[in-house]
Amino acid sequence: MPGLLSSPVCLTVIWFLSWSLHPSCAQIWTDEVSGTQYGHLESNVTLACGKSQFRIPVVWHLNHSSALPWHKVTSDGALVLLHVGHSAQGIYSCYDNRGLLLHSIKLRLGHPPGLLSISCQVPNHTHVRCSWLESVKTFLPAQYNASFRGNGQEWMPCVMDVTRKHCDVDHPAFWQTIHTLRITETNALGSETTYVRFKLHELLKPNPPESVFAKELEGYPKRLIVSWNFPSSWPLTEAFPLVFQIRYRPQGSIYWSEIYSEESPVVIFDALAGHLHQVQIRARDEVNAESQWSEWSPLLLVRPWEVYTTPDPAEQLPPDERFPDYFFPFNTKPETSTAKSHNPVLEDESNLGLVILLVLFSVVILITVPSLIYVMWVRQRRRDHVTKQELTSMVKMKSMPI
Amino acid sequence: PAVLLDSSSSLLFSLLLAQLPVFTSASPVPQRRPSDMDKLSNQTKNLMKLTQELLREHAFDSDVEPHRFRSLPEMSNRSANDLNNLELKPTLSQLHADLKLYEHHFEWLNKVSKKHHHPAVPKLVEMIREMKSLINLLHRQMLRVEAPRLTPATPSLPPHLPYQFDVLQSSHELLQHFKLFCDWAYRAFISLKPKVTAVQ
Repeated sequence: MPGLLSSPVCLTVIWFLSWSLHPSCAQIWTDEVSGTQYGHLESNVTLACGKSQFRIPVVWHLNHSSALPWHKVTSDGALVLLHVGHSAQGIYSCYDNRGLLLHSIKLRLGHPPGLLSISCQVPNHTHVRCSWLESVKTFLPAQYNASFRGNGQEWMPCVMDVTRKHCDVDHPAFWQTIHTLRITETNALGSETTYVRFKLHELLKPNPPESVFAKELEGYPKRLIVSWNFPSSWPLTEAFPLVFQIRYRPQGSIYWSEIYSEESPVVIFDALAGHLHQVQIRARDEVNAESQWSEWSPLLLVRPWEVYTTPDPAEQLPPDERFPDYFFPFNTKPETSTAKSHNPVLEDESNLGLVILLVLFSVVILITVPSLIYVMWVRQRRRDHVTKQELTSMVKMKSMPI
Repeated sequence: PAVLLDSSSSLLFSLLLAQLPVFTSASPVPQRRPSDMDKLSNQTKNLMKLTQELLREHAFDSDVEPHRFRSLPEMSNRSANDLNNLELKPTLSQLHADLKLYEHHFEWLNKVSKKHHHPAVPKLVEMIREMKSLINLLHRQMLRVEAPRLTPATPSLPPHLPYQFDVLQSSHELLQHFKLFCDWAYRAFISLKPKVTAVQ
């Protein structure tokens, strides 16, 4: 037993217990900092010299230096820093008149949280991402808590990424009139909750179309073919159609021409022969007219086909993205500045019908004109016949004896 | 014989002329007729457009919803993922019941708007007409696929709207909800289209 009592571990435990059970002996014999105190910037901050009630003169140091910011020391040894600025931050230590360290504390200064500036992005119907910016720079570490709900619904967590200052909600109840997000920012000096209300269907904004590709059409000096993919963040199901706006112009022109389409690819029929063209595409939800257009895809440069052309290496397109030969017949109707019909098959059929109608009309005309000529000829012949008969009768009459 | 010849040529000419309008009016290639599901989705889009026009023309900017209507079809349980797994018959039945409920609400709105001489009345009347047309189309489709007709919920409507402001607010609330309902219904119809073809 005596051996056990004299073991270093046991001695340490006994020392620790005796130290912790006698808090009145608050003297700090080592140079350690007992904690952090937070204070408001541009206000007065009081630092107590530990829990000591001794009314003995104490000396305060900041970061081991006797140079202190604007201050006063109260009768109980507390240090009152007046109208503190950032420079007042640091480790404060108080010593007794013998130079023994009584207390040491770290001071951090800042502001309580203010309201947040929150914006939300809705790239599809299944995901909402809300980001925030502080309106007040607090200079202090903060914790955030975010929740999200539809009208009259239960709050659900908005999953935080504090370093990137955003939170995500997956599968929100999208078809609600109003949604609310609340974010609470908490730091050592206080807490503030910001509420924002928004309409998801108005915030809906797809990402730009991807793999956008423009190419000349061989043999057609005024045509370009443009293809693209849906943004990868957009669900590829029947329920979520997108409409695409394609704009193009000869390089140097300030006027864009536009085509609307729901399907890729489209053919531009009125490109300016021999000129380099700029092409861009953007997307929007086809059903919800109140949703937003995506950003434009990066600018593409393409030149229509030319007879004796030596392609500019800068405009050459990757060979693996060539269109197959059967590509051309699709969607070849020029649609400049008009909304495209939602049913391209029907449109093609009606075009074919128009052509057949015109052919039939031509046939009718071809039949009618010879028929008319024939009728005229027959009538003329009859008239000639009648005149001949009249003349004969007149001659006969003249030759008759009166 | 000359008279006969004259009359026959005139007849031939007349016949040719008479053929012209026949050729011009009749499309030689038959147009692909829209399917019933196409009609349903088109009519829903038409209603959505009318709703948006009404909201635009009688703009009432308010983020605060009064929650006057407690019995509108529930949209909180409809998510984007559900649209990929819709079942034909229950969805048609539910949409029919929901539309009937909206029909009651809009008829009520029309009545109170008339009382307050609200300028949106003619368009509201048009909207109700189009809504009835959609309900009939949907009912026909339900009969075709043997989807059951659900018992319509009883609408709980505000008892009395004393001021024009209340009418405006109610109209705004109802239209906002209906616009989103149409958005969902349209997506449901276009998602169900392949399933109807499989059933028929």
